[in-house]
Amino acid sequence: MNPETIEFSLNGQAVRLEIEADTPLLWVLRDELDMVGTKFGCGKGLCGACTVHMDGNPLRSCSLPVGAIAGRSITTIEGLSSDGSHPLQRAWMAENAPQCGYCQSGQIMSAAALLAANPNPSDDDINNYMAGNICRCGTYTRIRKAIKRAAVDMREGLQTRDQDAVSTWSPDAASSEVLS
Amino acid sequence: MSLSRRAFIKNVSVAGGALSLGFTLSGCSRSEFPRLNAADFQPDAYLRITPEGSVIAQIFKAEMGQGVTTGILSVLAEELEVDPASMGYEMAPPHPAFGDPEMVMQITGGSNSIRLYYPILRQVGATAREMMIAAAAQQSGVALSDLYAADGRVQSRDGSVDLGYGDLVATANTLPVPESARLKDPEDFKVIGHQDNRLDLQGKVDGSAMFGMDAPVKDALVAVILRCPHADGTCGGWNATAAEQLPGVEAIFQIDGGIAVVARNYWRARKAADAVETNWQAGPQPLQSSEEIDAAFTVALDGEDYEVMREDGKAPQQVSGKRLTVEYNAPFVAHATMEPQNATARPTADGGLEIWVGTQGPDIAQAHAAKGAGIDKQKITIHNTFLGGGFGRRAAADNVYEVAQIASKLGKPVKLVWSREDDMRHDFYRPVMKARLSASISGEGEVATYSHHIVGPSVTQKIMPHFIKASLPAWVPHQLSDAIAGLSADTDHSSVEGVVDTGYQFPHFEVKYSNVQTPMMLGFWRSVGHSQNAFVIESFVDELAHAAGRDPVEFRRAHLPKDSRQRRALDKVVAMAGWGDTAEGRFQGVAVHESFYSVVAEVVEISLHSGKPRLEKIYCAVDCGRAVNPDIVKSQMESGIVFGLTAALKSKITIADGAVQQSNFDDYPMLRMNEVPDIEVAIIETDADPTGVGEPGTPPAAPALANALFAATGVRQRDLPLQMA
Repeated sequence: MNPETIEFSLNGQAVRLEIEADTPLLWVLRDELDMVGTKFGCGKGLCGACTVHMDGNPLRSCSLPVGAIAGRSITTIEGLSSDGSHPLQRAWMAENAPQCGYCQSGQIMSAAALLAANPNPSDDDINNYMAGNICRCGTYTRIRKAIKRAAVDMREGLQTRDQDAVSTWSPDAASSEVLS
Repeated sequence: MSLSRRAFIKNVSVAGGALSLGFTLSGCSRSEFPRLNAADFQPDAYLRITPEGSVIAQIFKAEMGQGVTTGILSVLAEELEVDPASMGYEMAPPHPAFGDPEMVMQITGGSNSIRLYYPILRQVGATAREMMIAAAAQQSGVALSDLYAADGRVQSRDGSVDLGYGDLVATANTLPVPESARLKDPEDFKVIGHQDNRLDLQGKVDGSAMFGMDAPVKDALVAVILRCPHADGTCGGWNATAAEQLPGVEAIFQIDGGIAVVARNYWRARKAADAVETNWQAGPQPLQSSEEIDAAFTVALDGEDYEVMREDGKAPQQVSGKRLTVEYNAPFVAHATMEPQNATARPTADGGLEIWVGTQGPDIAQAHAAKGAGIDKQKITIHNTFLGGGFGRRAAADNVYEVAQIASKLGKPVKLVWSREDDMRHDFYRPVMKARLSASISGEGEVATYSHHIVGPSVTQKIMPHFIKASLPAWVPHQLSDAIAGLSADTDHSSVEGVVDTGYQFPHFEVKYSNVQTPMMLGFWRSVGHSQNAFVIESFVDELAHAAGRDPVEFRRAHLPKDSRQRRALDKVVAMAGWGDTAEGRFQGVAVHESFYSVVAEVVEISLHSGKPRLEKIYCAVDCGRAVNPDIVKSQMESGIVFGLTAALKSKITIADGAVQQSNFDDYPMLRMNEVPDIEVAIIETDADPTGVGEPGTPPAAPALANALFAATGVRQRDLPLQMA
């Protein structure tokens, strides 16, 4: 398969690249564009770790050939908010939802799509919608609470819920090159 | 644990102008602290304070979700009088100063991080705090007794002194290290027992947290490996002529462990790997199928080849009451971390390798990188990252051994990525096990005799050679480390843990173990032997209660010591669950188990819908000593419970021709959100020092569920995974 030119929008920015069209979007993001917030979990659309939005709809990027997204608009975890303060991200922190954290980009992207479609989901709504996302640390009960918390915040238009003390640490700052 | 000051302060040296105080409890000698910086105040290997006032901790244990980062920061911050959320932290490199006091190597495991390091980190924080105060006394001329530390500053009671820690670094570096540092009265704790916000979350919600898979080596090629599917099998030849013609392919070559396919990105490497023709040969060892293993276990149970692991009391010749003899089974299970195994290596100008990997054993990783590249350990730099799940899997460094071979052969940076299928089929599995139990009940409804015979392959025999390579010099031949591991296999404590050390008091108690090895690689799986053994003993005790015609809770209490932690946890959880007063259509099962010095009791509540059970609610009471971060303790119980229930309901690895038959989450499924009910956790208040929390939530989950299923259906299930149909 020969490379071809593919253009799409990624987190509001135009992207144009030469790539074999069968390459799954996940690997385009991770290996070609250095957007590594979207995670590889299973490669078969079974775990949800690679969830992104295409034109607002959640899709498993590990099973989505990049050729199929030409002209489309893609949103990844990096594009969900400019500074990590989306109501879902704040709710995730307030509920101490993440443990290892590996699946949480996909969880949050699925939850964002859920709340866009259903601003006031019941437990059953949440369970059914989120059943495609596996968390091996078993944070499901916390994710349920976080989604409900975020739903309230978003309905009430709260943009500045008091945040408890959070780390300002960033992965770049954690590398020895920067700090030592 | 009390620390002698003499043992604690092993040596004091001046390196690079910065005062350094060494903590080498493992007895290893220390050359220099990691990340030494002359301008910083660095009183030990764990902590430094910069002239700008940043307090930066080394995270010397793996952060795999269990919350150890927050735990370390909380304990240090308490004694140092700083806001833990204001502290910086770095993932520590392998270093002798971080050798685990119990395990020697720098391993994260056994739920021991906070249990072992709670007193050490308090001393570290208190020493730094006292030196800050001493420096302020010298700078200001105000008496020590008039100074105190608060919120990263030293202040005087009359308000005349107010100095930030950064302002005191230069003076502190000239001061002697105090002989003893006063620890705070727990009554005054502001952080320990109160710090509930995890401190590692921002990057985990905005996608910026760095896992091994995200190693920042932008020019790295990507490698995948074709491995022999048969345990202990061999490669009988391969042909990559077609694969080498595919776009993006860089190189295809054989390494120790498989055929490496290296390409421009993961997808091109995977496509090329699919085009490589291979001829794999099954291995020579016996027991190549799950059926053969099961049959061999039955032969062992009937035979005389066993070690007696515990024997007290004498079996009465004649027992008048009921006698039960039953068998339980647990299969191989996989870790299935969400992040498949991976590692990245970059050759350095001096002939060494830089490695990025999320690892539970950075020194094990370092040793395996050295072996893979054929170079000295000193030339290997390990960058540890967040771990996308560990659960014991990431103590092994097979991935690092592989990537080191590939990168050193190519002389180029390489990121090795395992597929989910690779991860599922080449794990270090929890061992398969069969147990035969026999017990008798006296006329008074008490256990009179108890016999428990476990058959299964020894974990240590399989995995210790892998670990020992990290602690022995390179010239020690592999046969010797294999022999060392073999010596302990027949009495492998992990095979019988949770049974030999049970809290139950029976007048006669006998535990036997038969090591029947299989070709499969084995490893430590969250809670290790406890995970199967708690299922067996807590299911069987339930059987005995019903056989005696007694309530399962009352029966357990009667066989547990008064004032025991087990009784307290049991009493707590049954009060939470309303035991004995269950709503119509609901059924409860209970289990209590001690592991990693903590006691956890759980009640699983289910309902039946057209005969099909459904999980409704789970209650948990945990005694883990003082909870440093109470909400993390709760989240670890929730996590351990879901992990235990997932295995109890879904997990089974089977083999045929020595090859694993499962591959991905379709044939090795996980519990999902719609299957997990609310979980209510209570922490039992105690002043005792902290004990384990990462693993102890797992063991009681399976038996509590099995006991609930019996309560609902009247059918006793003795084989994992349990059937919900």
